[in-house]
Order: sequence, then C-alpha cells, then structure tokens
Amino acid sequence: MAYPAALKSIRPTDLPMPAQAAIRILQHCSQAHSDSNDLARIAGSDPQLAAELLRVVNSAFFGLSKNVKTVQRAVTVLGRNTLRNLVLCISVRSALQSETPSEIDITAYWEEALRRAVSARLLGELLHLDGDECFTAGLLQDFGLLVMFVVLPQHASAWQKMCQLDPDTRLAEEQTIFTMTHTEVGAMLGEAWQLPQTLVDALNHHHAPDDTEQTLLSKLLYCVDWIAALYNRAASTATLERCSAILATHLDISQQQLEALLKQIPAQVEAAAEALGLNVSAQADLEQILRDSNLQLAAANLSYQELTWQLENTIKERDHLAAALNRELELAREVQRSLLPAAALQPSIAAINIAAGQLSGDFYDYFSLNDGRIYFNLGDVSGKGVNAALLMAKTSSLFHCLGKHIDNPGELLEAINNELCETSVYGMFVTLIAGLYSPATGQIQLVNAGHPPALLIKKGAQISQFSASAPPLGIIPNSRFPEVELTLTEGCLYLYSDGLTESCENDTPTTMRGLKGLLKLIAAAGQGSPEEKLNSIMSAAGNEQETLHDDMTMLLIQHAQSDDHHA
Amino acid sequence: MKFSTRSEGAYQLIALSGEIDLHHSPQLREEILKTLKAKQNLLIELSAVEYIDSSGIASMIEGLQLANSSKLKFALVNASQAVMQVLQLARLDTIFPIYPSLEAALSQDS
Repeated sequence: MAYPAALKSIRPTDLPMPAQAAIRILQHCSQAHSDSNDLARIAGSDPQLAAELLRVVNSAFFGLSKNVKTVQRAVTVLGRNTLRNLVLCISVRSALQSETPSEIDITAYWEEALRRAVSARLLGELLHLDGDECFTAGLLQDFGLLVMFVVLPQHASAWQKMCQLDPDTRLAEEQTIFTMTHTEVGAMLGEAWQLPQTLVDALNHHHAPDDTEQTLLSKLLYCVDWIAALYNRAASTATLERCSAILATHLDISQQQLEALLKQIPAQVEAAAEALGLNVSAQADLEQILRDSNLQLAAANLSYQELTWQLENTIKERDHLAAALNRELELAREVQRSLLPAAALQPSIAAINIAAGQLSGDFYDYFSLNDGRIYFNLGDVSGKGVNAALLMAKTSSLFHCLGKHIDNPGELLEAINNELCETSVYGMFVTLIAGLYSPATGQIQLVNAGHPPALLIKKGAQISQFSASAPPLGIIPNSRFPEVELTLTEGCLYLYSDGLTESCENDTPTTMRGLKGLLKLIAAAGQGSPEEKLNSIMSAAGNEQETLHDDMTMLLIQHAQSDDHHA
Repeated sequence: MKFSTRSEGAYQLIALSGEIDLHHSPQLREEILKTLKAKQNLLIELSAVEYIDSSGIASMIEGLQLANSSKLKFALVNASQAVMQVLQLARLDTIFPIYPSLEAALSQDS
C-alpha cells in the first residue's frame, strides 16, 4: 500500500514496532490453521514474551489449579485469539513504555481501549461476526491516535481536549493538528504489524460508514466510536441519542439492545483486563453506582447515561409539575380577577390592585344597589399565598352577596365577621374598610375593621383620617362594627392597603414610605379623573421598588361635584 | 428578632425583642403553639420589640384563638410603643388582654 508520505507527518518507519517474535505470532494467529506447537515455539524464542505469557496464564483470572510452567501449555490454555490479543497488548505496551508524553494517561487509554474491544465483541456477537476479531479491531481502533501523539509529542497538550470530542469532530481536529488521522495511522500500523487485511481495511475506513463498499466490521467500528463517546466527560443525552441513532442506522441495533449491551460492559472490561494482564481502574457496576449515588464515578462510567436519563426524567417531571401548578395558579388568579369589578361603575370611583405574587391577598369591590347608592370595600387578608387568596375570595363573595340584602355597612360586616369566624383558620383574618356611598348627596357611611385609616382629603388639602373602629374580621365572633358618617362634596376619599405605606421609597430604601410618603404621592398625582390619579400614584409607588414585596391596592371615590383643589 | 422563654408563676413567658417580620414570624408562631399545646398559659413580653408586621400580629392572634378554645390564658405584657401603635391602629387592643407590667399580669391571676 502506498502512502503519500511526503504530505504526511508520520511515515511507517516512525511507527513503534513489536518484537520480531510478536509479529510472527500475530501472523500465525491470522492464519486459519495455526498450530499451537508453532505458536509455542515462536513465543518461547522471546524470553520476555514467554515470561509475560506465563505470568498472565497463571493469574487469578484463569483460575488454574496447577501452575503452568511451560509456554506450550500456556498457549493451549490461552487459545489462539486470547494469545493474539495478549501479544498485541504486550506489543503496544512495550512500544509505549518510555515514549509516552506525560499528558497522556495510559491507564485511562487502556480502559477505553478495552471498553472499545468489549463493545466491539458484544456488537459482533449480535451481528454474528467473529467476536474475537471484533475484539482485536476494537482494541486497536484508537491506537493510531496514541501513536500520533507519541511520534509527534509537541502536540501532547491537545490530548485531553481530543479525548472529550465526539468521534466526527475529533477526526476533523486530528486532520487539523496532524494533517492525518488515526484511521490512516491505524491502517499503516496494522500493515506493519502484519494484521489480517480485513482488519486493516476496517481500521482504515471506519469513519466513512455510509460508503457502500463498507464492510460490516468497519461500520461496527464506527458504532464502537460512538459507544466510547458516551463515556466522555462531555457526553450528554444528545450524545446518547446520536449514538442510539447511529447504531440503528448502520447496524440495525435497537435502543433496547444498546441498553442491554451497555450493562454488560463493566464486568467484561474487568475480565478482559485481567485476561490481558492490564491494569484498569475498577469498573463500577450499575447497581453499585446507583447505590453510592457517586456522580463522579457515574460520569466516567457505565451509568452515565442511566443517570442522565433519570435526571432528565426528573427534570421533565419537575417542569411538568411546575407547569401544572402554574396553570392552577393562573386559573385561581383568573377567578380572583373575576371577583374584582369589571369596569368603572361610574366616573366617581376607581380602584387598582397590583399583586406581589401570582395571587393577591388584597381585594376591592364596588357595586350599585337598586336605589343608586354604591357599596364599596377594600380589604387585606393576613398572610400571602393560596390560603390568603382563598379567604379573600370568600370574604369578597360574602360581601358581594350579603351586600345586596343588608344596606347598612356596620350590619353587613357583622354578618360577614360571624360567617368568617364560624369557619375560621386560626391566625387568619381580614382587615376591611367598607362603605355605602350616595352619588346623589355625597354622603358616605363608612366602617373600618382593623384596616389602615381611610383618608378624606378636602379642598385646601385638609386631611381627615378614619381609623379602625373595630378589630379585623374573622377573629372574634359577635363583634360590633360602628359606622361613621362623612360627606364627600368637597373632596376625595382614598382607601389603601398597607402594601403602599409599608413599601420603601426610592431614596430611603430602608425606611418605609409611611402615611407621609403616601400623601406625597397623592399630592404629586395632581388633578384628573379618579382613574388617572390612581394610575399616577400606583406607577410612582411601583417604580420606586424593584420587586413588589406586598400587594398594593388603592380605591378612590371622587365626588362628581368636587372641585378637587387639595393638590 | 430574639426571644427567650421562662416560667413566671402559672405562666410560660416568651420575651421578644427586635424586629418581628415575615422572616421571624414562623419561629414565633412555632414557639407560641408549642407552649399552648403543652397546656401552658402564655404571656408575651413585648417591651423591646422595635417593629412588628402583620405576620407577627397573625401569629399572636392565632395564639389567642387557640388559647381561647383551649381554655388557656394568653396575654400581652408591657407592649412597646411600636407594638401598641399597630395594635391600636387595627383595634386589636380590644381583643388581646394587655397588661402594663408583668406584676399586673400575674396579679390578675390571684
């Protein structure tokens, strides 16, 4: 085979060469009728090789009761295929012994090589190929890469990065760095080491699996590349999906077959390492990894993909639950919104509610009675979240329903309070201001149950406060709720929740706005319709803080005849 | 918020200080409920409380309601200006027994 050597950075003469005896054994093993006597004679001619064979065959892996003392017996025990693989490993190892750049972790390399070999054999068995030949092919598949780094050690710093790339990207990177790839070097090596031509061809062409001339062994090696990629630290579920798709396309191997195969790898790698006298780090099995939940081990080993699947499923489940919860909350919010009056009843009254979270504990309402008077309220439920939202819904509904039959705010709150107390949850209560407003006369009957004072701002900026005359609703049954009477002809009545006074002003982020701050915002809102004023106040209050910590709600009644000069 | 507990006559006393807000209320609530569930009368000493928000108030209201239904005594003692303001603003001073001193609270009992 001719190599365009002038263009290439590595020539066959640069390659590490095994001992003469090793080459002859490899040659013999490739022949259909190799004779174990011949093999033993060749192995025996190389004292180092002979010693290594005896060491391996007497290791615990073969579990022989008697010590094997002769090379002849060792060759028989090992069998032709194990002998070939063993000789290959010995050759690779001795070829690398003194020359490997320090950046390259040889133990990790062997581990991966064995994983490839084992994967190749398992795939080969599924495809009715010679499993041992597949094993050899897998073992040597990436040797070309190692050789490139050994021959051209100036690129050694690229090794780590290279090992984390997926097979296709890595091949392109090899081309860039070395102007040749591990497939070419691998094939060159296979020829130099006199490996069977089928094996050399497969090593040479395994990165072109779509080629119609491709042998099954060559396609198999490409798939082994992708199985090996699953063990990269950079591997993800995408790698797994890709690997699964490639196995399905080129070898017609199903996802289930792949999963079963992956499960067998660790034990087989361990067995192969023992048989070949190689040190690899312990191959943790799936159960052990899951038992230990040791992510680091898992990332480098078999259960990487299992854990990824699990993690992915957990995340999917979490997202699913979060989405479901969000939908529920959105539905709840929708019901809450429906409890607020739909549109301005008439120009004299407006209200705004801004929820800090998805659900609000604040609420307001206004509606007309048959005689033209308007019931209005603004309330705040203790606490935040779903429980507060439910109590808000209950209180608001009671008000809306009972209000149509009880045209006296004090009596109405008494009825609501008793109803709430009957079914109360301890520690939950509602502060509420309610009133009945007559647009015709400007008269208001007002009740304040534990809520921050209502503000009546009259012409000339004269301010009256209407503080609570009774405790909040839902605590003590049979409470009384005294009313006050006021006339709105010359001013505006503001109701608000403590989210407005207990939030902070921009320039004093640690001090609460307080009533003083709120009055400033009201003054700054100037003239206009109730809606315009509220929009101005609420946007000023909202803009002053990055995130809302409490719901903010405000209701304004501005009597139509009012001259509104308070600002 | 800081708190300490001790026995005072027929009562368990929880002395609170500092700021009581949403972050501390769960701890206060737990302490109150623990005492009441152990069937002990409870006094809350509030002289050193600088700020209390509605969640703190809610914890105390929950305690009051549980005490009432369990026929236990629950009272506030020596409420600071900051606490009194909040209680008065919401007219909660009408529902909590509030004593100006520990002596007054204890003598109420005999």
